Amino acid sequence: MGFFSTILGLFGFGVGISAGLVIGYYLFIFFQPSDVKDPEIRPLVEQDSETLQGMLPEIPLWVKNPDYDRVDWINKFLEYMWPYLDKAICMTAENIAKPIIEEQIPKYKIDAVKFEKLTLGSLPPTFQGMKVYVTDEKELIMEPLIKWAGNPDVTIAVKAFGLKATVQVVDLQVFALPRITLKPLVPSFPCFANIFVSLMEKPYVDFGLKLIGADLMSIPGLYRFVQELIKDQVANMYLWPKTLQVPVLDPSKAFKRPVGVLHVKVLRASKLKKKDFLGASDPYVKLKLTEDKLTSKKTTVKHKNLNPEWNEEFDMIVKDPQTQALELHVIDWEQVGKHDKMGMNVVPLKELTADEPKGFTLELLKNMDLNDAQNEKSRGQLEVELTYKPFKEDEMPKTFEESKTLQKAPEDTPDGGGVLVVIVHEAQDVEGKHHTNPYVTILFRGEKRKTKHVKKNRDPRWEEEFTFMLDEPPVNDKLHVEVQSSSSRIGLLHPKETLGYIDINLSDVVNNKRINERYHLIDSKNGRIQIELQWRTK
Amino acid sequence: MGLVSGMFMGMVFGISLMAGWRHMMKYRSTKRIAKAADIKILGALSRDDLKKICGDNYPEWISFPVYEQVKWLNKHLSKLWPFVAEAASAVIKESVEPLLEEYRPPGITSLKFSKLSLGTVAPKIEGIRVQNLKKGQITMDIDLRWGGDPSIILGVEAALVASIPIQLKNLQVFTVVRVIFQLAEEIPCISAVVVALLAEPKPRIDYTLKAVGGSLTAVPGISDMIDDTVNSIVTDMLQWPHRIVVPIGGIPVDTSELELKPEGKLKVTVVKANNLKNLEMIGKSDPYVVVHIRPLFKIKTKVIENNLNPIWNETFELIAEDRETQELTVEVFDQDIGQDKRLGIAKFRLIELEPETPKEVNLNLLSSLDTLKIKDNKDRGSCTIKLLYHQFNKEEQLIALEEEKRILEERKRLKEAGVIGSTMDALDGAASLVGSGVGMVGTGIGTGVGLVGSVVSVLESGWWGVD
Repeated sequence: MGFFSTILGLFGFGVGISAGLVIGYYLFIFFQPSDVKDPEIRPLVEQDSETLQGMLPEIPLWVKNPDYDRVDWINKFLEYMWPYLDKAICMTAENIAKPIIEEQIPKYKIDAVKFEKLTLGSLPPTFQGMKVYVTDEKELIMEPLIKWAGNPDVTIAVKAFGLKATVQVVDLQVFALPRITLKPLVPSFPCFANIFVSLMEKPYVDFGLKLIGADLMSIPGLYRFVQELIKDQVANMYLWPKTLQVPVLDPSKAFKRPVGVLHVKVLRASKLKKKDFLGASDPYVKLKLTEDKLTSKKTTVKHKNLNPEWNEEFDMIVKDPQTQALELHVIDWEQVGKHDKMGMNVVPLKELTADEPKGFTLELLKNMDLNDAQNEKSRGQLEVELTYKPFKEDEMPKTFEESKTLQKAPEDTPDGGGVLVVIVHEAQDVEGKHHTNPYVTILFRGEKRKTKHVKKNRDPRWEEEFTFMLDEPPVNDKLHVEVQSSSSRIGLLHPKETLGYIDINLSDVVNNKRINERYHLIDSKNGRIQIELQWRTK
Repeated sequence: MGLVSGMFMGMVFGISLMAGWRHMMKYRSTKRIAKAADIKILGALSRDDLKKICGDNYPEWISFPVYEQVKWLNKHLSKLWPFVAEAASAVIKESVEPLLEEYRPPGITSLKFSKLSLGTVAPKIEGIRVQNLKKGQITMDIDLRWGGDPSIILGVEAALVASIPIQLKNLQVFTVVRVIFQLAEEIPCISAVVVALLAEPKPRIDYTLKAVGGSLTAVPGISDMIDDTVNSIVTDMLQWPHRIVVPIGGIPVDTSELELKPEGKLKVTVVKANNLKNLEMIGKSDPYVVVHIRPLFKIKTKVIENNLNPIWNETFELIAEDRETQELTVEVFDQDIGQDKRLGIAKFRLIELEPETPKEVNLNLLSSLDTLKIKDNKDRGSCTIKLLYHQFNKEEQLIALEEEKRILEERKRLKEAGVIGSTMDALDGAASLVGSGVGMVGTGIGTGVGLVGSVVSVLESGWWGVD
């Protein structure tokens, strides 16, 4: 008896529940209005302190943190533009979705899918603070806090098997803190080549999903689960350091980088003309690449020899093998006075094939003017062997991310050696007692290099690069960087003066491969200089 | 028994589940809507609102100026400036050189850029204000300050003198730029952009001129002429009510509503002048008067020789585009061999005229409109004029526009034929009376359209991209 009635009871309960659910549904839910109203917004002054307390967690970041700026003008702009943006975005979305829907409908045996209502609501997204980060790299970083608590209404009606079901998404709220990085900066509009977007923290998402009137997202437990699920999915894709990259410009612009190395072997010269009155000349060879500000390279001097043999090798960095050429000058060394020119020639680099050594026997000429009569005279010959070694394909900068990763040194750099690149970017607040026309002198292992002079400027920008080819990492070496100023005014007691200097320890570069830092200058009140160092090995 | 009670309990349970669900729905919905309202309010806080929220702990560093500060944008600008400067030099050269040619004064035969580099100092935006003054438009005012160190060298050629390179140094620009966005219902939702410099506060463009390898005094008055050119370009093309209209590619739009249109015509009768200064050594000055509203359309009277109290009684018509802000400029010159000297200048604000009401005015002539440049207060006499302003109706407006376009062609033709040295030359009152009585002034807006066209095409191709 008891057992039977329990079974009956349970059965009745089951039936009752279903009936109850259906009745309850019709009673409470079915007749709910499905339109979305604009929220009633009462100005702050009219609200009581309790509601105000409730608002505190949503206070904009620019109020709380002084490093965030207020951008209410952008909010106003968006507000005025929102009705138009709304229509535009919805139209575009519909146009994109329609063909996809048309395709999918037959697959699932659905009769029709229609957008009953599609609007993004009356509330635009708001920017609740904008923060900017300033780094020493060539990039712009900004972090706006975007909160969109809108009242959109997207209703899709699906007709299938004679039934109609409506799916409605309402009250979509998305709060996110994206970090937008514009890099690298290039000298052609709009002045940045890529946009990188990445979220600094998991976004907050909330919405209402009404299936035939019943909001699935109000079931306690379920909505938290769905929110977490969405948050995690988005985080997997875009949470920092992962980024979304939007290319804006073709990255193959500006910025000429070294593309290879020219290996020169100066063999010998023959039948040189006598330049000295007493005895034979003392020749040496000077090598230089066109379009290169680097100082030229020199062989040793072979005294009193009109058929000298050198067999010396040099490496020169090439930026553009199509336009650059190697200039060779044979010069007579003098103890006193100016050295006499004995002859010269030029070899365009485009005559060379990559990685193939080529020997040249060059007639020494007075100059490269083919019509000059003086070139008829024979001044002797110079024998050299040239090999152009381009940097390998995967070492070449393909996209601008390369500025972070490093290039390798050329093949024939001695094992354990590499290329030290010093880039002088800019300096700030440099001031001389008598004049300020700053330029930078770099001293490394006895070699001195200079940048251009910048006239009358306390915040000069040079952006000049210097390279040193080394046999071993300069772990114990220091780089001396000095900012100097010189003036050409007549009658000055101090035509040259120093505006500050620093000594950089190069062991840091060897360990880190790339350092880009701002250093405070010694002997300068407030001066700072930005130097970038790179150590490239094989 | 069990069945019925089971069913009953089941039903109750079911119904209450649904009721509970509905309750949750309402609760969640209310919460969301409340949050939305909060966020909306917090997106546009005012000083009082913030005081109410924070109470005693009001943060000290916050201020609410009319023009909102944009420190973050300035930081970006200074980082971005070297690249923008390089990218913009070419665009600027292309778009400004035709303007220099159009607005150069008669004394200079050629005015071009030899070198243009924008320097290392970025402009600073002091503040931005966004308003909605008209439906379908968003007005953004940007307070711009630029104390730059650009390297601009102009190649100037003047009559009787060889070409002089003149360097423009220490450029200081203080102005408020008004950018009006015309909204549309298609991506990108902006159909056109209108750019103008607000007249109030008056835009200030200061610079010093230096002749490279020579002296400025080699060509007398050249710095004044260059100042004149710059001033004319600014007031005639950029300063409100004039504006530059740039349609954004991709959306078809009718920009005629945005462009400046003639509002009415001003009938000017130059009656006489009294007590003019004598600038001649032998005999007396030979005065004539030049009137204009826009520097591109100047009209002059006949010359009356040897007279310091001349009577002309000549009538002209000038077109006005905005009675509220424009002024009539009256200049009295002394005709001479070589460059004509200016005896005096005066301005009259059109807003002081009642439409359709004739008015006779006696203007005191000054040596210069820039009160800082007046060195002597010597009396330069006065000029009497009669004025009558007539406001156009729609038809007359259209006729005036057409007339202007026609006269634009005429002026260009005259210039090419060598009859007039530059489009800034004052035309004879008699010569330009072409019977219609309307739009004797001609070129102005038409030129504006032509020039805007060229500016727009440069900006469009180089900047906005082709869609």
